Amino acid sequence: MNKIKSKEIVFFGKITAGITHEIKNVLAIIQETSGLMEDILAVTPDETFTHKDKFSTSLNRIFNQIERGVDITTRLNKFAHSPDHSPANVDLNEVSEQMVLLASRFTRLKNVVLKADPHDTSMIIKTHPVALEMAIFESIEILLNALSSGGKITLSPRKIQNKCILGIGYENTVLPEEDFLAKISPTERWASLQEVMAYLGGTAKVFGLAPEILLHLPESIDD
Amino acid sequence: MLQLKVLLVDDEQEFVTTLAERLELRGMHVEIAMDGEMALSIIETDPPQVVVLDVMMPGLSGMEVLERIKAIDPKIQVILLSGHGATKDGIKGMQLGAFDYLIKPVDIDELIEKLNETAKNVV
Repeated sequence: MNKIKSKEIVFFGKITAGITHEIKNVLAIIQETSGLMEDILAVTPDETFTHKDKFSTSLNRIFNQIERGVDITTRLNKFAHSPDHSPANVDLNEVSEQMVLLASRFTRLKNVVLKADPHDTSMIIKTHPVALEMAIFESIEILLNALSSGGKITLSPRKIQNKCILGIGYENTVLPEEDFLAKISPTERWASLQEVMAYLGGTAKVFGLAPEILLHLPESIDD
Repeated sequence: MLQLKVLLVDDEQEFVTTLAERLELRGMHVEIAMDGEMALSIIETDPPQVVVLDVMMPGLSGMEVLERIKAIDPKIQVILLSGHGATKDGIKGMQLGAFDYLIKPVDIDELIEKLNETAKNVV
């Protein structure tokens, strides 16, 4: 990756991270304002407010959406800081959960549920965070484009024979791995994924009857 | 019972004014400041027992204000409000003498709990 490209990514990340702070401030104001309404409601006698229940239900909906907004902006902020240090220590469990939140909109458009199935213990590797996120996203897109709509994609970090692997699996179709590979290997996305994985010092392979892309990652990549 | 005197410092006016109203409803005496300079001026003239201080503000940063508050009166308790990267800010703040830190948007019950904890230290 050339120097300007790296600078572009850092710039993009910096601006995005700054904006997430602004969004959080907006959410904080909405939270306090609706919280104040809730406080006032709590000291208002039932008989003086006919629609108290409906008002209270609406406030709870606002609180739930604030929580959702905070979660999304927190993840987005973390994502935006990904280019700050590269390589950096990354927990595969954490990055899987982060990608679920950030990529769910793309899977939802194809009625696919995106989930993370974290490993029992943290799986920390030293890698290039942005490239890893790109590899996960490319894998999700490969599955979305190659397979029927509906079902579930699961991101599952695991260790096999002491090797760090991140599985991106699709649970809706039975498709032998050679057929799946034949379908995806001529695509540009698959070539792009191979390129990103080579940059990360790893490989991408397909596995199993329920199609799964396995990202084999080294525990540490050189600076 | 002691009426806790709190100073809220944040450059988001609607945030501080609404939060102040909520704390006043809970029996606290609340002052607000929109920046670090204003906060320090209030502290010099009418010191609060607790300061709830945003980390990211234009002008003096929350950390700079925290250091100056502690130099004026180390007994004044400071609760930091931080956005993202809370752990880093929190650790730095605690090293500078902050009582604790909370993440924005703040949960009112959690804030009240922290304020009540500080109250034990300011009697």
